Formats: sequence, structure tokens, C-alpha cells
Amino acid sequence: MAVLVLFMLLGGCKKMVDVQSTRAVAEPNMWNKLEDARGALLGIYGLARTAMVDNNAHWIYGDLRAKQFVSPTRQDLKAVIDNHLAASYPTLEALSSWRRWYAVINAANIFIERIPEVKKADLRYTANTMDLDIAQARFLRAFAYFYMVRIWGDVPLIISSHDGKFENKAQNTGSEVLAWAEKELSATLEILPNRYGLSDPKQPGLYYNEGSSRWQGTLARRISAYALLAHIAAWQGDYSKVASNATKVINEAGNAGVTLTDVGSLTNSSGFFSGKRDSHLLGFNFTFEQGEGGMSGHIEELTLASPFVNKAIPDLYIPKDAILDIFNEKKDTRFGLDTLGRPTSDRYFVNFDSRYPVFSKIKVVEGGSASTSPSEAKFSFFSSVALFTRLEDIYLLRAEANSVLGDRQSAIDDLNAIRSSRGLPNYIETTNGLVIDAIFKERKRELMGEGHLWYDLVRYNKIRQNNLAFTELIRNGGIYWPVSEQLLQQNKLLTQNLYWK
Amino acid sequence: MCIKLPLLLCASLCLNFSYGYARDLDQSAFQEPLTDTSKLDTTRKIIRPVVRRKGSISPQKLSEIPVVSLQQYLKGQAPGLTVQEPSGEPGTIQNMFIRGLSGPLLSPADVMQQQPLVVLDGIPLIGEHPFAYDIQLYNYNRIGTATNLLTNIDMNNIQEVKVLRDLSAVAIYGPNAANGVILLTSKKPGTIRRISFNTYFGLALRPNVTTLNASAENAFRKQFYDRYTANGRYSDEDVYPQYLSDASSPLYNGPSNWTDYYYRNGMVHGISADLSGGTERANFRFAGGNVRNEGVADSTGLNRYNVMFNINMKPLQWLTVSLMVNANRLERDRNRSLRDRFAQTNYIPSLSLPLAPNKEVYGKYLNQFSKGYDNNINTLLDGYGKLIVNLKDVEISSGISVDYNEGTRDIFFAKPLMEGNSYASNYFGYNQRLLFENVISYTKQFGSDHHLKASAGQLLQWDLSKYNYAYAYKGVNDFIKLNLINKDLIPTSFPANLLFKFLDKTSHNLLSVYGRATYDFKDKYSLSLLLREDASSNAQPTSRWFLSSVLSAGWNVKNDLLSNSKNVSALSLRLSAGRLGKTNAYDNFGQGPQYTSDIGYTGNVTLPGYNGFAILSRPYNFGWVGYGIPWAYTDQLNFGIDFGINNNRLQGSLDVYTKTDKNQLLGIPAYSEYGYKTSLEPGLSVNNKGVELLLSYAAVQSQNNGFAWTPAFNISYNANKLVALPGGLKEIVIGNRLLRTGEAVDRYWLLTNEGIYNSVDELRQADGTAMQYSGTALQPGDPKWKDQNGDQMIDARDKTLYGHSQPVVIGGFNNDFKYGKWSLSMNFYFNLGHSLMNQQMANSLDFINREGGNSITSLKEITFWEKRGNRNDYPLYNPWSSVIPYRIDQNLFLENASFLKMRTLSVGYDLVSAQNRGKLKINGLYVYAMASNLFTLTKYKGTDPELVPYTGYDTGYGMPIPRTYTLGLKMNL
Repeated sequence: MAVLVLFMLLGGCKKMVDVQSTRAVAEPNMWNKLEDARGALLGIYGLARTAMVDNNAHWIYGDLRAKQFVSPTRQDLKAVIDNHLAASYPTLEALSSWRRWYAVINAANIFIERIPEVKKADLRYTANTMDLDIAQARFLRAFAYFYMVRIWGDVPLIISSHDGKFENKAQNTGSEVLAWAEKELSATLEILPNRYGLSDPKQPGLYYNEGSSRWQGTLARRISAYALLAHIAAWQGDYSKVASNATKVINEAGNAGVTLTDVGSLTNSSGFFSGKRDSHLLGFNFTFEQGEGGMSGHIEELTLASPFVNKAIPDLYIPKDAILDIFNEKKDTRFGLDTLGRPTSDRYFVNFDSRYPVFSKIKVVEGGSASTSPSEAKFSFFSSVALFTRLEDIYLLRAEANSVLGDRQSAIDDLNAIRSSRGLPNYIETTNGLVIDAIFKERKRELMGEGHLWYDLVRYNKIRQNNLAFTELIRNGGIYWPVSEQLLQQNKLLTQNLYWK
Repeated sequence: MCIKLPLLLCASLCLNFSYGYARDLDQSAFQEPLTDTSKLDTTRKIIRPVVRRKGSISPQKLSEIPVVSLQQYLKGQAPGLTVQEPSGEPGTIQNMFIRGLSGPLLSPADVMQQQPLVVLDGIPLIGEHPFAYDIQLYNYNRIGTATNLLTNIDMNNIQEVKVLRDLSAVAIYGPNAANGVILLTSKKPGTIRRISFNTYFGLALRPNVTTLNASAENAFRKQFYDRYTANGRYSDEDVYPQYLSDASSPLYNGPSNWTDYYYRNGMVHGISADLSGGTERANFRFAGGNVRNEGVADSTGLNRYNVMFNINMKPLQWLTVSLMVNANRLERDRNRSLRDRFAQTNYIPSLSLPLAPNKEVYGKYLNQFSKGYDNNINTLLDGYGKLIVNLKDVEISSGISVDYNEGTRDIFFAKPLMEGNSYASNYFGYNQRLLFENVISYTKQFGSDHHLKASAGQLLQWDLSKYNYAYAYKGVNDFIKLNLINKDLIPTSFPANLLFKFLDKTSHNLLSVYGRATYDFKDKYSLSLLLREDASSNAQPTSRWFLSSVLSAGWNVKNDLLSNSKNVSALSLRLSAGRLGKTNAYDNFGQGPQYTSDIGYTGNVTLPGYNGFAILSRPYNFGWVGYGIPWAYTDQLNFGIDFGINNNRLQGSLDVYTKTDKNQLLGIPAYSEYGYKTSLEPGLSVNNKGVELLLSYAAVQSQNNGFAWTPAFNISYNANKLVALPGGLKEIVIGNRLLRTGEAVDRYWLLTNEGIYNSVDELRQADGTAMQYSGTALQPGDPKWKDQNGDQMIDARDKTLYGHSQPVVIGGFNNDFKYGKWSLSMNFYFNLGHSLMNQQMANSLDFINREGGNSITSLKEITFWEKRGNRNDYPLYNPWSSVIPYRIDQNLFLENASFLKMRTLSVGYDLVSAQNRGKLKINGLYVYAMASNLFTLTKYKGTDPELVPYTGYDTGYGMPIPRTYTLGLKMNL
């Protein structure tokens, strides 16, 4: 009798041990609703943003190795500047790992494989939206691969989730991966709209019930795909493709609401780098209004000091002589000296005359609302966008391409378009040197602190081959980062990059 | 909840499931019968040896020690129990481990999951849940009060403390108890009306330290500049810190007298009183008390108010109803270290100017705290109600127990403390456990030889942990200290963008059925079998249930073979073998592959979404969780001998055990090309073997209150070994640890230091190339690290395993002397065979790297200005070198942490007879004076080898455990 009742009780209590976690969504509860699709898609974006900014990676990869910045205090940053990338600092170890990029790729792979389940389960989720979302996932996956190839050269090409049946893969060559990425991106061109939540023929009406003000500058657009294709082609050295894709970007810019940015907005604390904007051709924003942002993951953490934040010495600065060497033309509205040798503006540099000029081009502190008055409290909360490219970059990229392809006048026209917007007179060979040199110099000035200089140097030296040491570095793979020891331990099929063996 | 509780209660009562809570559960076969507490005359037995048989400890004696937590009370008292007290700050977290580590301690969550279960009168106490660490950038303290919840025991209310180590005793408590059990039994109500009063007052002495100022630091650093620089600058970018360079500033160069405001003499006291009485049919005990324990550093302290109430009723001859409530309120004054504050605020201000060693300046800084607050309050409530029905051979008991603890922490840091940005934070969290248990037991004597006892029980347990947490920066001013919100939930006093809110909840349900049968033959042989099935909601649906079984046997050799022996007064052998399941702490593991919001990154772990939308992704940072995760379990074998010689003058017990914890989950670094940081895989298996000896000897006994001396000694040896890693791996590197099968899990993984390279010639290898460290060529001035694998390169492959972070041998030694009404006792406590990493020394020497950093590990606390250890004992490396010569992962900083401490010395006088006249009848009156923490013997060159966190890295954050003098009184009316 007792035993019988015991079993009855147990039967009733079976439910007692079936507890739904409120902390994680299990497989059966995912991929059922429109909201699941939105959460998963934006998750890929969020992961891409994380991959770019974790440990300030985008700037350490892109700006530091080019030796433009100097670090007065941080030994780990010094090691990067001196190309001691295998030195044992936690930051460097983290930056040698590609794991966070593969999180983007894995999330995209899962999305592409599972999203049809949502379409089946939720009628609100249309075929059109699904195609669009898959195109974005493919875009982000291609972007991640391109980003990794620039850092490590060869990486494993993994294009399905292998969920639960993970297998180790060897590296594919960088060129193989880039060719695949190019193909993927080309396929998305047909599908991606230039605007979301507005009457774009490819995406009419609201997108996930939100209008264009919510989506502006946050998602991958067709124009972003062209821009990325231009960058991939440039890294491959295929300049005719650079020119054609850059032209597409420039032609479609108006349609996508993308414009060139005047120098005032570019350097204003609540200007271009704050918030989300259509002109962020490809960028991952932090919505300050929603509490996104923080003390880390922004270039401000490295470059700002007093009067923007409470810090006497910035982690990174550009010495005075180097600044004067870069901004060597009068009337440059970004930075220049007047006839008395005083800075004409503090757009790019504040406290120029002190020991440590503060690189202040990007300074989105507290959403851009922070005061620089010494009496106001400083709070190091940053929310500048993690930007990959903007229209100025594409103009200069096309100029570079045309210059390489021998179309000198087109190159000069594009160069002048940027120069004139920064108060500079048109390009003259006698003062500005070779066109290609002038273009790269302009890139250095315009895109300073946006994670471009290192890759520019690589392309420049591939074109010019006038720096023996750098050419050697390109030849022996020294332009790549070492593959983290931890990755090599986990996956025995991987090999260390030649230069770092 | 599947069935309403009342229904269950009714069903079980009607249908005869039952089990007695207060029943003695230490199931070695030859258990002494439980003392009838109602008849126990405690007044005559005030002084008893602290250590009694089989891990049972006298709370009477412990209650005299001026400490607050259970861990502190039990230090060195029980074989097999390691206690860590990483800081002398009252009320902070302390750790206990019974019979070694069952897995590596990689995070505070691992430590939490290896804590033994504490059972108070049958209530298995629930602790804090580690899930809150998920939202923390720094894990030094759990968010919330971080108060040690085992400070809720007033030893004056405790009748008996037992440390249960062996599965035969532990398994009845189920999977909660897989790490061992500490069993507390409270004093029971009696029929004699009695009032007792216990108190002590005392003083914790301010420590004596040597202080430093900037000129001392300058002198120290000058050696490096003299040796490695030509002109006082190593490179163009080398910056000498401002606070050291300005020699004229009295701020840093003046008198270093900050200690006047940092250290103090702390007051300690404990007061408690209880009242009990009643009749055979109904009796009660009521106790209340207050304990105040002030730390000697940084104005810390703990204040506890305790109330306990027991009631027993016997309305019918066959029915007993009892009820217990133990309620506590804990108020804690926390330290004001920069690290703990910045870890709480998730914000690190500019660190270029450290706190000044000057008293006036430091005092001004401390005053800023008074503009805000940091209130930490815990309320704990545990209680049970139960019914026992006695029907001839059958006893049925049914009971509900509730354990609930809640914590609130409210913080406001005023603007000057936070670079002009105020900070407010509010935390409310609770953990609750509801337990419903029914037991039926049947006892039968067959003839005179055979005795059978069988019981069956069923247990339902609901655990719930929850917290609400919010913090905000930059309030409008320093007067509004709350996160005010208006009716539309818009914050009004703090900016909405800088207000961060967190809610989290996790529950764990456990369902168990068990049966046990014990058979005794002639008090000579006994055999007992326990079988239990447990289902956990944190286990995966495909493996919800786990079958545990324990078989134990006993042989009373004395009764069987030596009944005529005069020398041997007791001898029995025990053997037990069994298996017990272990539950997962996190409900995530029960779900299999899952999605969550996990897109944070270094320095910003709680980033919630993208473009203002919550996101869902796989838990790439947490790790891959697949299907097919089985229950983890522990397999144990225990053999014990209990003996008494010469009329029990010498008593003792010896235990030998081996215990293997298998199938445990471990995050293996894996699947990076699929985005995961780790893969959480079952298969971690760790073995602990050991020997434990407990001896007490009535060395001198004389009649008529003459001289008596009773020494008691316990010692335990534990050897830990990693048996297997998930996936058949032989070794893995996790953080700064290497886990290698065949080795212990608590070892350090270090480079071997062999001195310094003085010249380029010494560096040259046989093939003419210079020795390298991780791709960087070593230079003169760099350390000479041993190239273990001879590949002309120093890297991780040249690290070897050193030492143990856990003691290999632990023990305690008591001496009780008695002469007439006088008594004297002393207690020693020792840990041997473990080592620690002197991180604070490494930090101090690695000043170049730390000066530039703006991270939480490069903080300079006020104790930066205290001399700790001798920095001149270390070689003079080039601190600018990019190989980081003073890196912690080398044996240069490994030190022996073995110690012997004199914990207490006390003298007491029994006044009872002197006062036993007049109207007021005093049954017992005992006064005593005690000195605690008198001395430490150790080879360690830093501060106190005990003040080390679970990692074994002495960061210097442990506050001293003070020498304390107290006077106390125990009175029974």
C-alpha cells in the first residue's frame, strides 16, 4: 500500500524536476517566433561588435602596429608598437586568438541553418524577411573572415555550424578564404536593401516593426557590401575590382543616405562618431540611450586624457614632431599651425603644446554630452561607434585604385574631393609628391585612429616596394599576428604563422 | 509545485511515511546511544575536552572563543576538515573542505560548490548561489553583502557538533551532502526550569607594523635606475611617477602615520541568555544573544543578533510535535579598500596618484566615506516543524523545514570618492530552501540476538535563489542618495543611461526516495545498506535520476573476542563503501545546447543588446553545453578503527579512506573555431586518499579534584590526485594552472628560476644564439630560467609543477589541565605541506609594469606604505625588460606556507560552590580569561601564511587575524 502511494506521488512529482531555466533558452524554445529571429540576428551583430572592440582590438591591430602612436606607460601596448607580438602580456595573448571572430561565424552559421524553422512556426515571419536576414548573416560571416585574413593570413574556413559534432580544421589559405568571402558578398548584393524600415524596394515597410530611425546605420546594407568588396579587392591587390566596387558605393551613397562628413561633425563629441548614422557605411554602434557603451572597447580609453577624462597621461599619444610631419600643410581644418606656430584648431589634438598632446578626434564621452570644463566631473563612459569604413575611406580607396590602374586624373579628382572638404588646396605634384604618396598621406590624416593605418602601410608597401624591411616583412608573413598558443594546443591541425615560429 | 503541500502532508501522515529528524544519523554501526538531553546536567560538565570521539566536538568549549563563524570555530578541531580564513575581516567568506578537493579551484564558484553541507537540527542550510558572478567584471566578492552566512550559529545554543566525513554517515543527506556534512544539534528543551547566561568581553589588539613613505620607495627603486639606466630614464618614454619624484612634497615624503587611522584596537563581545523549562508533555527553550566583533583594520566589524526558539509537545503518548526557529540578523561593516570598491563600482578612476601615507591626508580621504554609506544586512531564518508518531515498533515522522536568508546592500559613494561622480547601488537577494520529508521506520528485536531496523523516506526540496540589483553613476548631487524613479519608471536623480539594472533567478528542485536497513547481531556484527534515488531539475532530462548506494559493516572486536581483556576497553572496526550522486549548481547544464545574452567583452561583461534590442546567442563565453551530461558522483571507501585502552584512558580512532569524485563537469578550452571559450564536459575525476587519526589521553587523573591533564590530538593527511580529464585528455592549461593526470589539482605551474644573466656571454647558447623567452631574446639583467626541455627557448613548456595550495597535513592539539576549581587549556592548530605564491612581493618588485597600468591589479592600497617582507632578498632584475622578470609564474615567489599557531590559551575558575547559598540558587558559575592567536611559527617571509585566498596567491588583501584577549562568564541558574 505504502509503496503504491509512493509511486503515485512520484508520478505526480515528475513535473517538479522539470524546471524551465529563466537564465537560458533551451533548443525547443528557440527558433519558434519572430522575436527569436530578431534576437539571433542582432546577436550576430553584437558578436561582431564584440570581436572588433574586445581589448580594443580594432585599434591595436589597425593603428598601433604602424608605430604612429607611442605608449608612455603601458608595456603591453609598447610591445605591439615594437612588433613583439609574442610577448607574454594578457592583452597580446587575447589578441592572438581568433575565437571571438569565430563566435560571429558560428552564430551566423547556426542562423542560416535554423532560421527556416521560424518561418515554419510563425506566420508573421515572411519569406522576404528571412531572405534578407540570411543575407545579413552571410554578410557578417564574410566580414568576419575578411577581418581575420587581414590579421592572421590563413584561417580555417568553416561554413556550417557542426553543432555538437565539432571537428578541428586546418587553416585554408587566405586567398582561398577571401575568394569565398567575395563570392558570398556578391550573392547578398541582390538581396540587401540600402535602407531598412523605409520604402526600399528590397525591404518595403517596417522592419521588425520598427522604422528607419531605429535601424539607420546599424545593419548591413547593399552599399556596405560594396564597400566591403572594395576593401577585400584592395587587400587582394585587385584594383580594377576596387575601382568598380568603390564606384558603386559612391553612386549609391545618396540612395542610402550616406554622405561625406564635414570636419566639424567629424570631430564633434556628439557628431559623426556618436550614435548611429546612415553615414556609418559599415559600423557597429553603441546605443547610449539604451545603456550600451562602457569604459572599455573604444579608442577613447586609449587616447583620451585630461581635459576629457581624469587621466594625466594618455595610454597612447602621437609625439609633436610626428604630428607636424603628418599635418604639414597649412589651412588643414583638422590640424595645422598658424604663422606664430600655434595650433589653428583643437579638433584632432588638444593640449598640443604639452608633453602629451591628446588625440581628440574621437571623444564620445557620456554620449557626447560631457563637458571639458575643469570644474565638471569627468566620467569615462564611452559610446563611439566601432566603425569599419566611411565614405571618405571609399573615395580615397578609389583614388588609390585609379592611381595604381594608371588613371591619374580620376585619382586626383577623388583625392581633391577629400582635400577640399578639409580646407586644403587641390593636389599639386610639386608640393604633395607622387599621387599615390599623397593619397596614402591623406588616408593617414583623415582616417587617423580608425584602425586603418597598418593595412594602408601593407598595401602601400605592396604597391611601392621602396621599403626593404617592410617588403621583407610582407614576404615572410611578419605582417600577420601569431596564432595564440592556446588555439594551437586545442587544435593540432593548426600551424603557427611562419614568421612567429 | 506538483502537488499542494497540505495534500502531501496529509497523504504522508495518513499513509505512514515518516522519519525522525533528530534521530542520530551518524551511522557507524556501533553508535553510542543518543544521550537523553532532557536529563543531561550540563552544569556539572562545563569543562570537557574539546575533542571527543569520532569527530564530535564540544560546543561548550568552542563558545568561549571570541569568533563569529562556524569555520573559525571548527579550525583545527576535526580530522579531515580544512578551514581557510583568508582575511581577519570579521564576517567575510571562509572556506571549508572535507577530505581534500574534489576538483580544481578555478573560480569562487568552484569553491562554493565544494563546501560541505551544514545541517542544523536536520535542516540542510542553503548558502549563496554562485550565479551572481555571471554579471561581475571582477569576482573578488560576490555582489550583495558577501557576508559569511555561517556566522548564524551561536555556539551557546549548540549541544553537539559533528563533522561527518564518511559516506555511511553522509549519504542519508543525499546529493547536497556529497562534500561532507557538518552536523549541528541544538540544545533541546528540558523539563527542569533553567536560565543560563554566557558572556565575554575583550579587546583585539592593534597590530604593530613598519610603515614606509616615498623616500623609502625612492631608495628602493634607485637601485634599479642606478643599475639599468644611464641618466635615470630607461627610455624616452619612461616616466618616473609624479608622487615619488617630488621630493619636497610632504604629502608622500612626510611622516607615514596612516596606520593611526587604519589600524585600531577592536572591541569584541558576546552576550547570550537562554531560558528553558516545561513538563514532560510540553517543554521549550528560548535563547537570544548579541555578538559584536570588531576588526583591527579599516573599521570593519560584524554585529549579530540571534534568537532561537525550540518547543516540544507530546499531546498524546504516541505523538510528538516539535518546532524550532533560529533567526539571525547580521550587520557588517566592510573594508574600504580600493580594490573592493572599484570592483563593486565597475569603474576604475585614474590611478596616477596613490593614497598618501600621511595621517591628515588619509583622514580627509576617509571622511569622504561618511558622506555616503555602505550598509550590509543579512537576515537569516531557519526552522522546522515536525510530527512524530510512535506506534510500538513503527515510528513515523513528517516534517517541513524552511531555510531562508536574505541580504541587502545599499551603497552610496559621494562624489569626491569617485572623481566627482557619485555611485549608488542597491542589492536585494535571497536564497530559500523548502524541504518536506517523510520517514517511516521499523525497529524489531528478534529474540535476544537479532536486531533489525528498516526505514524508508521520501524528500522533496525546492531551492530558489534570486536577486534584484541596480547601480547608477553620476547622481545630481550628494544629498539624493537613492535611485529615485518617477511614476513612469524614469529615473529622476541619476541619469537613465548610466543606470544599470539586473534581475536573476534560479531554482533547483530535488526529489528523493530512499530506504535503509540495518541489522545487528549480538552487538558484535552489524550490516547496513542504504539505497536512494535522487532526481534533480539541474540534471538533463535524459538522466534525471541517479541511484546511490552505501553498504557499511561493523565488527565490535571487543564484544566478540576481547570481552575479557582488561587492557583493551573498546575496539571496533568499521568498513563502508558506496556511491553518492552530486548535483549541478547551475540550471544551464540541464538544458543542453542553449541560447542566452552573452555578448559582453573584456571590461564590459554585461553589455545587454544591440541597437537597444535584447539579443540571443549561444553562450560563447560561458562555454558549450551539449547533451548527454550524466550525474557526477563520488565513490568512497572508508575503513576505521575505534579503540579505547586501559579503561578508555587512551581513546582514539583511525580512519583510512579513498574517495573519487567522478564524471564532474569541467570547462575544457576547446572549439575556438566554433566560437566557444570552453566546452563543458563531464569526465573530471579526482581522487583523495588519506589517513586521519584522533587521540585523547587522560594522562593524569586524580581523585577529589586533584590535578588532571588531558591532551588530545588530531592529525589528517590527504593526498590529492587528478585521475582523469574529460575526453581522455592527459593535461590541459586553464588560466595559470596546468592540470595533469596523476598530479594533484592544487599545484602551481611555474618557471624555475636559477638566478640572473649578468652578461651577454652567459646568454649565449651552444649554437651561438641567445636564449629566448616566448620569442623575445633575453638580455643581461633578465632572469635565468631553466630550459627544462632544452629547446633554447623559455616558454610555457618549461614550466613545471610545484607545491600545493592546499595543506597536505592538518591538525590540532589540545591540552586541558585541571586542578581543583582551576582549569587551563591551550589549543594549537597547524597546516603543513602547502605553499603559496607571494604575489604582493612580486607586485612590489614589478613596479614598472604596474605603475603604468590602470587596471584593478595595479592598485596601490594604503597598505602599499607598509613593509611586508624583505624586498632586498630578491635578485635585481631589469624591471623594464619585456620578459617581465618579476612575473609571478616562477618559483622565485613560491614559499613554504606551513605553520603552527597557538590559537587559544585560557584559564578558568569554577565559582559554583562558592556562590551556592542564599535565595538565588546558582547551579554553575564559571569565569575565564582567554588569549587567542598568540603566535604563529612559519617560514613564510610575508605576513601571515593563513591569509591567502583559495588560489594560493597572497595578494596582501587579507587583514590580520588579531591577537585577542577576553574575559568571560558562564552562569546557570
